[in-house]
Amino acid sequence: MSDLSDALERGEFVATSEIGPPKGTNIEPCLADAEQLRGKVVAINVTDIQSAVMRFGSLATCHMLVERGLEPVFQMVCRDRNRLALQSDLLSAYGLGIRNVLCLTGDHTVLGDHPESKPVFDLDSVGLLQCVSALCEGHDMAGNELDGAPDLYAGAVVTPGADPIEPQLLKMEKKIKAGARFFQTQAVYDVDRFIEFMKSVAGFGVPVMAGLVLLKSVGMARFMNKNVSGVHVPEPLIARLKEDKAKTKSGETAVQIAVETIAAIRDHCQGVHFMPLGWDHLVPEIMDRAGLS
Amino acid sequence: MIAQTPKPLEEILEYLRGKRKVVLYGCGGCATVFHTGGEPEVKAMEKTLTEHGKEVLAAVAPPFGEFTCYLPWSKPRLSQYREQVEQCDALLIMACGDGLQTVWDHIIEEEFGLAKPVYPATNPIGHMGGGPSRFEEKCQQCGECELGRTAGVCPQTQCAKGLMNGPCGGASADGKCEANPEQDCAWLRIYRRLEAMGELDKLREINPPKDWSKMTRPRSIEVVPLELA
Repeated sequence: MSDLSDALERGEFVATSEIGPPKGTNIEPCLADAEQLRGKVVAINVTDIQSAVMRFGSLATCHMLVERGLEPVFQMVCRDRNRLALQSDLLSAYGLGIRNVLCLTGDHTVLGDHPESKPVFDLDSVGLLQCVSALCEGHDMAGNELDGAPDLYAGAVVTPGADPIEPQLLKMEKKIKAGARFFQTQAVYDVDRFIEFMKSVAGFGVPVMAGLVLLKSVGMARFMNKNVSGVHVPEPLIARLKEDKAKTKSGETAVQIAVETIAAIRDHCQGVHFMPLGWDHLVPEIMDRAGLS
Repeated sequence: MIAQTPKPLEEILEYLRGKRKVVLYGCGGCATVFHTGGEPEVKAMEKTLTEHGKEVLAAVAPPFGEFTCYLPWSKPRLSQYREQVEQCDALLIMACGDGLQTVWDHIIEEEFGLAKPVYPATNPIGHMGGGPSRFEEKCQQCGECELGRTAGVCPQTQCAKGLMNGPCGGASADGKCEANPEQDCAWLRIYRRLEAMGELDKLREINPPKDWSKMTRPRSIEVVPLELA
């Protein structure tokens, strides 16, 4: 169906990465970011109005990747479209050559740059997965038969560091029941906790790719610890970022931490999903040093 | 109850610009509880408008319990002041939007046959329960109550995203909502209640997407009238 589905189904240890479209029409730098990942990662996620900050669209960017021979993962959130628009965009995505779709709830509008907007959330992530499954079975959510059904590889997200973890696990099971065939996780820094999480989902039988957000600075680590739920950067990592400012600035520390994280988790999950936040050029190096190329 | 806050005086005076004779009508229900249209507020408004050069022909403050949105009460009440209503340039309703529209549609237009402006003095902010001081929004009258499946916590109203199938992953370490840090994550509350009752299996069932056709507005209903003493 897609390179991503093939690789995961073959049981390979798979790497994906992520790009974020710009605020404006200047899409070239974003495509250049993607270009740096060519031949390295299997697929590239394109975020969908990430953090509820209005931007260039995920669907259009995914299509541009397809045109360039790069495989996209179309991220789709439930915040901005009702079920009519979601289904229509899923059909359009398939028509534009997109094969992977990652189904998310989406950040709330009040956290973004248009807090006055009306949040939609007609479906939640589980409902969106059911919706993808229905379309792939040849009918829409209302049961009407489709003239041509898409064939999409649907994925979902999970937060392995959530506390309590049980509601996340229950929801993950629902997502699988609704049609999720792979998972990409929230950022992983606490390796022990992630391995613990992987043990509890071992029976689910669905590939999980660990999220890796490159650590750019001490400030970023502290910000995530304070503001991003389910993400915990352990103090020893923060100490390393503090230790050698030049190496932190150049990204060398981030690369080292990512390489070590991959080494520690690779026997426990089925891949990694990089969220480089502009440091896309470092992804190939991390993959080389981690032996993933 | 319909929680409400008073509109700024400047906005009210703007509505009443060029209108000298005014009739005030409060509410003995929610507007009394929220201090936006009970007797003290109606009296204070009468004084304020008089100071701003208005002539208040009537300042009607129904007794506690007499809802302005309920026609069997408001129609006879306002009919007592029909003469003043006919003479006034505008009415100011110190009640929620239900009160104002019910009065304008069914009393001013239908009953009195008048083309007369009726202005609002409050901003209704939600259907809430609680008191005597704190009130919270618990229900959005969706037409299809989910509480039997969600441990008595409405995921449509208590969760900022109205999720049907569990938490979004945005709850903070202390269980607060990312969209509103003062609010407990509704799905963590549901989880904890079901856990305490040994009914976590309820969380395994996928709840289908909400049927929003039941909220197609405006909604209406016919009921058997109450026998009022």
